[in-house]
Amino acid sequence: MLVIDSLCKTFDLPAGKLCAVDDLSFQVHPGEVFGLLGPNGAGKTTTMRMVLGLLEPDSGFAEVEGARTADDPIAVKARLGFVSASDGVYPWLTVREMLLYFADLYGVPPAEAKTRCEELATLMDIQPLLDRRAGELSTGQRQRVTLVRGLIHDPPVMLLDEPTRGLDVVGVQTIFQYIQELRGMGKAVVVCTHRLDEAERLCDRFGLLHRGRLKHLGTLDELRGQTGRQTLVQIFVDLLEGN
Amino acid sequence: MNPSRLFRLCRKELRETLRDRRTIITLLFMPLLVYPLLSMALHRFLLGSGKPAETPYKIGVATKAEADLLDRWINSPLAMPPEEVLEASGEAIAQFDILLTEPSDPVRALEAGAVDVAAAVDNSDPGVPPDVTFTIFRGDAAGRSARRILVERFQWFKLSRAQILASDRRGRTRGLDDPYRPPMTVAAAEIGEEEPTSMLGTVIPLVLVLMTITGAVYPAIDLTAGERERGTMEALMASPVPRSAVLTAKYLAVVTVAMLTAVANLVAMFTTLWAGRLLPLLTGDDAGFPWLAVLQILGLLVLFSGFFSAVLLSLTSFAKSFKEAQAYLIPIMLLSLAPAMLSLMPGIELKGPLAIAPLLNIVLLTRDVLSGQIDAVATAAAIGSTIAYAAAAIAIAAKLFGSDAVARTSGQTIGSLFRRPVRSRAFPTLQMATMVVALLVPFYFVVSNGLMRFLENAGDSLGLEARLSLNAVALILAFGMIPLVSAWFNRVDLGTSFRVHRPSATSIVGSVLLGLGAWVFAHEVFVLADAAGIRGLTEEKTKQVLKVLEAWKDVSPVLLLATLAVTPAVIEELCFRGFLFSAMRRALSPAKTILITSVLFGAFHVLTGNALLLERFLPSTLLGLILGWVAYRTGSVIPGMVLHFVHNGLLELAAKYKDSLTFLGEGLDTQGHLPVTWLITGGTVAAFGAAAIWFAGRPGSDQATNPAVLPNLPVKT
Repeated sequence: MLVIDSLCKTFDLPAGKLCAVDDLSFQVHPGEVFGLLGPNGAGKTTTMRMVLGLLEPDSGFAEVEGARTADDPIAVKARLGFVSASDGVYPWLTVREMLLYFADLYGVPPAEAKTRCEELATLMDIQPLLDRRAGELSTGQRQRVTLVRGLIHDPPVMLLDEPTRGLDVVGVQTIFQYIQELRGMGKAVVVCTHRLDEAERLCDRFGLLHRGRLKHLGTLDELRGQTGRQTLVQIFVDLLEGN
Repeated sequence: MNPSRLFRLCRKELRETLRDRRTIITLLFMPLLVYPLLSMALHRFLLGSGKPAETPYKIGVATKAEADLLDRWINSPLAMPPEEVLEASGEAIAQFDILLTEPSDPVRALEAGAVDVAAAVDNSDPGVPPDVTFTIFRGDAAGRSARRILVERFQWFKLSRAQILASDRRGRTRGLDDPYRPPMTVAAAEIGEEEPTSMLGTVIPLVLVLMTITGAVYPAIDLTAGERERGTMEALMASPVPRSAVLTAKYLAVVTVAMLTAVANLVAMFTTLWAGRLLPLLTGDDAGFPWLAVLQILGLLVLFSGFFSAVLLSLTSFAKSFKEAQAYLIPIMLLSLAPAMLSLMPGIELKGPLAIAPLLNIVLLTRDVLSGQIDAVATAAAIGSTIAYAAAAIAIAAKLFGSDAVARTSGQTIGSLFRRPVRSRAFPTLQMATMVVALLVPFYFVVSNGLMRFLENAGDSLGLEARLSLNAVALILAFGMIPLVSAWFNRVDLGTSFRVHRPSATSIVGSVLLGLGAWVFAHEVFVLADAAGIRGLTEEKTKQVLKVLEAWKDVSPVLLLATLAVTPAVIEELCFRGFLFSAMRRALSPAKTILITSVLFGAFHVLTGNALLLERFLPSTLLGLILGWVAYRTGSVIPGMVLHFVHNGLLELAAKYKDSLTFLGEGLDTQGHLPVTWLITGGTVAAFGAAAIWFAGRPGSDQATNPAVLPNLPVKT
């Protein structure tokens, strides 16, 4: 389970202070897919980075399965799977070598890592790619490899940052299937995206971020009740016009 | 991190970099390109040592008479080599210009470089043959070559004259008894400084700098700035491995590639020289292949690779792209050549501050090792400080590496290295500990060396009290201040990081007993080390120490205890079993923490001022192990302080009052093994002490350093 409580982060920019995340709180339960939604610059990625311990929050905390990022970042990282659209690969390593390397980084024993690598490769249909150099893969293939990489240590919480960015229809479909699998595995999943139509199909619950603040939180039905609007796009348009 | 995991992480880095053709180009093609060029340069040098025949050598003489005489002899047909010699040397005849150096002395002209050889003909006594002296400048290849030819010419001249004389006598009957008189005698002289025995000591440091830096540059950039360019940095930083571990794996990979490159270069260099019969030029003799030198160079290579890899990694860790990293490294490469060039200059010695000057020290060390003139203290200081600098550079790299994995928002600058963190921490990190040790090595060397020099200069004008107090001040400055400043700078909680927790009364009693008993073992280790030949004190130094011990009799026991027992007990415990212990305990197992802090403790006791007290290493490390165990069991630094104080105090008081302790029987005064009764008594007391500490220390008594119960400290702004 992921708990985010009163997270705040302000950046000192040459143009002045920018409040990227302002008093953000939400929880994601096992088997739940949570959509952290918002336009570009809403604070989604900053939130993820604070959860991962890559950025230090000014106040508040993130807690993964009982461990807080500020107190024990290593334990938190071990319980998180992280996949981002901007993730690259090591071009000179084979896919298998890269997956085993990340398994090692996450402390998976070598023998177990090999088995897990084969299982996930079958699940995500990347068996034929395992012994190819990562530098030779197409964008879609890389994306699948990256998704497997995020799961190599079987984390209870998954963070997906703009997972469909730059993918074609087939690629997006792969992500959808992947997220369904994650839900089936009982993982708590956070999907950060600005693609509201996709989110509507994918997620169980939503947090709508705008300029660092959480404007709405709940299931689609709850959001409809709160706003009187039918779709996430309409809700967002209202939000943007309101500001 | 366990070694097999570190090995696997390092293997990934090596795979990545060694499969990249850019690494292979540096690794293999550079030697192929460089050594033919170097060989050509050496050939040129070799040819330069014997001037081409058409360029005449210059001989300086003082007077016209001498010039005429020399000219007549040198250019006489009698002085020309026989046909067969001429043929063998390709018909090349050396030419000589005889120059009058009046009014100045020919030797002056030689010093000024105006002539190759200074000649003097002493024709004053008609009863004896003229005496010709050829003087050259030591190490001047042209002069040496000219003199060799001149001496040969005079030999031919004498030989020809002797042959003529012999054939004349065959035709005559008279004068057979006339003794043969050589037409002249020839002597050789030299001026200037001693010629270096070989070029090895001057060329190799330069080559080592170039080789290792060339080998390390590409992997250092690729494995750090390359992570950002490939987009793998964020995923790497999101993984649950401390940055220092990732950096260590990368460092080992860069060192490996740097060493492989350097070895490839060395093989190419020695092969080229050997094949081109140029080896003697480099080694200075014809003793065959210089196996010892090659082994020494391989050892030095580890130092150079280790140093450069760390420095380069710290720079490339800051860079966001390949281009940026290259821009940082080019000036560094050029700057590195300056110290390497310095090794070519005579008069620069590896001592004092130069022994800890980064890079310059290992360049000078290489020169000294290869010329067989090693000073133990300077060598230890050079190696120790280089390891410390490398460690510091890695600590900096670990701080910088990945800190802007989220470059868009973190605003990381070089200034952030010198900015205090916003949040407080309960414990120091491994990086902080590394930095503290890295600073301690050169700082302690300078402080203790400076102190020694000051005391030597002060002579007898400074009393023993003042000397003891100064020693204590030096200890406080180094081992007290550096961890304290680090803790302050990094906003680390002083109580938890120095492990100042209230101990139980039982643990204090145990520490006192252990302190009373442990010294017998430390003494035995000392004796065993001495028997094994591990000793750094010369007879003279031992006498000095005994003299100092004698003088202790007049010093107040309070001052003695304050400076030699209380100060080390408090300061060294806070440093080794406090700051360093709590930093290492966060990342390492108790056994490893105790072992590493003990070895550091032992090592710092070895390097003191101008002497290497090697015999102190084992006893100090043993004491460190005991102190480490006590610190671990009790979870506090205080029982260790008590033990340390009792141990030191006991030894000092025993030394001070040894004349009054005769009732204890023989044993105290000897340098040999202690009597068995002493060992049994000491062992029993120590065992009781250890038992008390064992029972006083609650299971998990070191919980203050357990990550799971870290207090959540407030944010300081």
